[in-house]
Amino acid sequence: MRTFEYLKPASLKEALELLGRHGEKAKLVAGGTDLMVQWKKKIISPEYVISLRNVPELSFVTYESDLKIGSATTHRSLELSPVIREHFPILLDAVSNLGSVQVRNSATIGGNICNAAPSADTAPPLLALDAVVHMAGPQGERAVPIAEFFKGPSRTVLASGEIVTHFSIARPSPNTGMAYWKHTRRKAMDLPILGVAVLLSFGPDGKTCTKARIGLGVAAPTPMRARKAEAFLEGKAIDRAVLDEAGKTAAAEASPRTTIRGSQWYREEMIRVLVRRTGMICMERAKGAAQG
Amino acid sequence: MRRTIRFTVNGDPVEVEVQPHWPLLRVLRDELELTGAKMGCGEGECGACTVLVDGKPINSCIYPALEAEGKQVLTIEGLVSPDNELHPIQQAFLEKAGVQCGFCTPGMIMSAKALLDMNPNPTEDEVRHALAGNFCRCTGYVQIVESVRHAAELLSKNTKRTGTGE
Amino acid sequence: MAEQFVGKSFPRFDADKVTGRARFINDIKAPRMLCGKILYSKRPHARIAHIDTSKAEKLHGVRAVLTGFNTPDVRVGFLGDQTALKRDKVRQFRDEVAAVAAINEETAEEALELIHVEYEDLPAVFDPIEAMKEDAPLIHEVDARGKPRRNNILPLPWKLEAGDVQKARAESAFVVKDTFKTTWVHQVCMGTSGCIAEFDVNNNLQFTSVTNVPFGGKDRLDMFLRNIGIKGSTRILTPYVGGSFGSKLDTDIYEFIAVLLAWKTKCPVKILFDRQEEFAASPPRQPIVGTVEQGCDKDGRLKFRVVEMILDNGAYTSWGATTPSVMMVPISTLYRVPNISFRATCVYTNNIYAQAMRGYGNPQATYVVEQSMDQLALEAGIDPIEFRLINANEPNETSPMGLKITTCPMKECLEEVKTRLDWKKKQGKHDGHGVGVACFLHVGGGARVYRSDAQGLILKVDDEGKMTAITGGTDQGQGSETIIRQMVAEATGFRPQDVNIFQGDTEICPWDVGTHASRHAFMVGHAILMAGAQVRAKLLAMASTWMGQLISRNLQKKARQDSDFKVPDVDLNLLSNPENLDISNGQIFLKSDPENKLLRLPVAQIVRSAHMVGTGRGEMIVAEAFYDPPNEMLNAEGKGNLSCCYTFGAHGVEVQVDQETGQVTILNYVAAHDVGRAINPMLVKGQIYGATIMGAGYGLTEEMQVNAGRVMNPNLLDYKLLTAKDKIPIDAVIVEPIEPSGPFGLKGIGEPACVPAAPAIANAVADAIGVRIKDLPLSPEKVLAAIKGKGK
Repeated sequence: MRTFEYLKPASLKEALELLGRHGEKAKLVAGGTDLMVQWKKKIISPEYVISLRNVPELSFVTYESDLKIGSATTHRSLELSPVIREHFPILLDAVSNLGSVQVRNSATIGGNICNAAPSADTAPPLLALDAVVHMAGPQGERAVPIAEFFKGPSRTVLASGEIVTHFSIARPSPNTGMAYWKHTRRKAMDLPILGVAVLLSFGPDGKTCTKARIGLGVAAPTPMRARKAEAFLEGKAIDRAVLDEAGKTAAAEASPRTTIRGSQWYREEMIRVLVRRTGMICMERAKGAAQG
Repeated sequence: MRRTIRFTVNGDPVEVEVQPHWPLLRVLRDELELTGAKMGCGEGECGACTVLVDGKPINSCIYPALEAEGKQVLTIEGLVSPDNELHPIQQAFLEKAGVQCGFCTPGMIMSAKALLDMNPNPTEDEVRHALAGNFCRCTGYVQIVESVRHAAELLSKNTKRTGTGE
Repeated sequence: MAEQFVGKSFPRFDADKVTGRARFINDIKAPRMLCGKILYSKRPHARIAHIDTSKAEKLHGVRAVLTGFNTPDVRVGFLGDQTALKRDKVRQFRDEVAAVAAINEETAEEALELIHVEYEDLPAVFDPIEAMKEDAPLIHEVDARGKPRRNNILPLPWKLEAGDVQKARAESAFVVKDTFKTTWVHQVCMGTSGCIAEFDVNNNLQFTSVTNVPFGGKDRLDMFLRNIGIKGSTRILTPYVGGSFGSKLDTDIYEFIAVLLAWKTKCPVKILFDRQEEFAASPPRQPIVGTVEQGCDKDGRLKFRVVEMILDNGAYTSWGATTPSVMMVPISTLYRVPNISFRATCVYTNNIYAQAMRGYGNPQATYVVEQSMDQLALEAGIDPIEFRLINANEPNETSPMGLKITTCPMKECLEEVKTRLDWKKKQGKHDGHGVGVACFLHVGGGARVYRSDAQGLILKVDDEGKMTAITGGTDQGQGSETIIRQMVAEATGFRPQDVNIFQGDTEICPWDVGTHASRHAFMVGHAILMAGAQVRAKLLAMASTWMGQLISRNLQKKARQDSDFKVPDVDLNLLSNPENLDISNGQIFLKSDPENKLLRLPVAQIVRSAHMVGTGRGEMIVAEAFYDPPNEMLNAEGKGNLSCCYTFGAHGVEVQVDQETGQVTILNYVAAHDVGRAINPMLVKGQIYGATIMGAGYGLTEEMQVNAGRVMNPNLLDYKLLTAKDKIPIDAVIVEPIEPSGPFGLKGIGEPACVPAAPAIANAVADAIGVRIKDLPLSPEKVLAAIKGKGK
């Protein structure tokens, strides 16, 4: 009978050992929401499945000098996390509108990122937050900026035997607004037609942009940063017209495709519109943060 | 490859032999004859298979059975009291017509249970957010939302009663 | 006497459904049961050169492998245009080329993978307009009788003519003409399709089915058995049905395949669709291309309407091809139009084929007509609601199709929309914010699509004072188990909780046409009135025999036990005349002294006495009724009074269109419905809410993306059903004109709200953006493209 061996390591050390032992024959899963479906459809046929659900070191949220999120933290626990709710609305926007409560109770942020789908909801916010991806492997630990993590659709820099352990995110500067806009056909149980994450930090005048980050989902074969648009914004006094121009720039540097979920022209158009709108939300939120 | 796992279902300890590729739904329906949770899609999209694992709603059609080891599983069958009385949520679904064909109902009620356990007095938006992973083709959700809010009222009047297996 | 049970929002009685104990087809097992699975075509149009099943047959656990080559060449379906398993060629991706029965699902699936089919591709055609051309590839070379076919047009020339369209066109002050399109949408029942077929040793078939037409299904399966040479008959059992919406009207191909597998193996065989199969291999609502031309005089009075419909029939024929019979209803009768011309052409293509879906052609037809109504109102310079009020149907008129309208509160429904939406203030701005309206009419008192439109009912009273209503109907969630109890209680004097319902067994239940066409409440209600009157008469006669002596005995007993009790001075002879008696709350009492507890007895005691006579003169109470309504089949010209009454209504929608993204948000929604009389207002609203959301999905999000014959989105992620979070604030307004032809004044309400939703939304979007989109659904992409293309 076609089946696999399901391994439930209780520690990161054990998980790494198992991964090292079984190598290419093993499939690492966190929430495992795709496992059953992909296995049934014969998209994957691993001999060993290594579940990270029971590794406590991989499931946590801490906020001290920086924000750290364990890779096996579920979207639901992020959605309910006071730290995320209070300080990282951009992540709350993403995790509270992904799938359903049921899916969010299983699916993890690490799984979302490691699948490296262009539509991964947490990728644009993590790009905008300059998140660092921390990995552990046979050679020890290493870290890369998330912008360097994706190599193509379903491809990442993870080497054989490596596991993403956590994401770290620096504390945003005080005058910062951040938001993620998920553009969909319906309000739940959907993948984005386009995902736009924007982070804007402002100088003491509250207007001049000191830092801009734009993360886009479904705008290219991998989640991407709109670096030209970011550069355009930095140093400028931000208003609607400037954001509109940034949207155009972002649309020009993106390369969306036509799929059954949306046409290329429409996605380009939405980048233009939604970069501006998400930027406007950032301005509101920055103001709110300054007052709060 | 079969492995024996132990967990509790609706308060009762069970011991089942499972294949590693089996989802929890298969164990509940085929091995334990608890057919209340339904297979509506098998892909974690419709919510008809929703059960609570340690109080949290999950899609049991894609939840690996082996992950249930040592956990507390609550299914729709666990809501009726030992003396065969309906749980207030079940009662509310009849009183406010949150049921039509009934196929989505067990999953819908389990999602409602998880919500009301956490938030005893939800707003309409909160109910809709919590039930968004349970598709219903019959009701258009209006009377389901009314049922859940009615259930909240019944529960607040009757705080003593709870389902078994908690 | 005021009605006690009818008109009240009783809670639903189907408690099994909230406990998880309700048994759906998924939950039913039988000893020795095998799992049946179907192999579908991998080509849209191809000759089957060869099928090699040898490897599958050798797989351990496989009990049967069937193909078109080892099963009888017996045609099935409405036009007999297919066999259960395909032999000569495949005509669509969902063609069934092989089937297996195995000891479990895994083995059956593995066996399917071991079947090797060689195809020789044929040119395919996916566009009905292309398929009508002379040089188009022929989908069917011969018809059911073996006669050669020359083209892809079905031999179903739907046509309706009334008055003089030419003359009316010449006399019209304003004329508009346009073409609209709709797409495939799926019923998406939450319970997928399934059945269990099983033969006994006398070759009788027991068939557990999710049909909502048990006797029609029995007919088709009996004929199939005869045609494949089996001398036996079919018993159909229906468990709880996880939704229908039209999808369970016909006997589907998988059901015939289950019979073939069960016959081959002599084991029970279950086939249960998975979700992907449900989308790709069960027939949805078909797309249409509809051209409509209408004209009115200078005062806005409609003069004529011409509609031409082309239906993409797909590769085979199920009830989808007969939906033009119901399209005729709105095309001829939605508003007063004296001159009518309608033609519908169904065309074979290599696409998936079509079935019935809630509204049965009416959603497509009303979409087309109501778009044109707004265009004509604009042309004539009249407000869309005023234009509809000018042309609204009225009570007691007969339409050009011969539909006899009885009660008709269409104007009232329009006024509700106008007031509740604050229409005047919001209409005609084209600033992204808009309002739209669409009316409908639908059959409300059955639809005589077969020679019979009848429903049988048996009422049986047992000696505990409980009544069983045995009906040929089915419950797919609409709430009949609740309203049947209310109506039986009202008709007989029993309590609703003392009424049980037995359905779903053709061996026991009386004959019924089927639970479709919004007909069940109407038909079963009449049958209840007929059988209920008999139950009352029989019970009162029985009571008149027994009450005198039973009460006399009770009084004497009481006097013996209690020395203070004085036997009252009553004339017990009064109790021996049935006319003096009545029944209420399950008690029989003296009409002249209803409050006297000493002179009343529970039904149970009377019936038990009549059962236990002990002399060979015992009696029981069973009443039967077969209600066949006075509606008419359509004649050769497509005319006749199809239904006993028609239900009317208007939906009004207020939308906000995001002019930069094309997203449509519904801010307000008024659904005003003529229901005749609401037996249970809460359940009536349930039908309105559910059907409105389904109709809104048709308008905004739902679409089977069929590309070169293949369904590209056979899952719930990409087939966009609305979720609980996609809130549409529906104000359901019930208008009750009390229908004289309806039992307790009711009209059918199962389908109607699905009809006007998409056109009302489309009209609101057109009002919001000042440009009309002519195909469904109104996706943000289409809306944005329309905004950007405005004025070009």
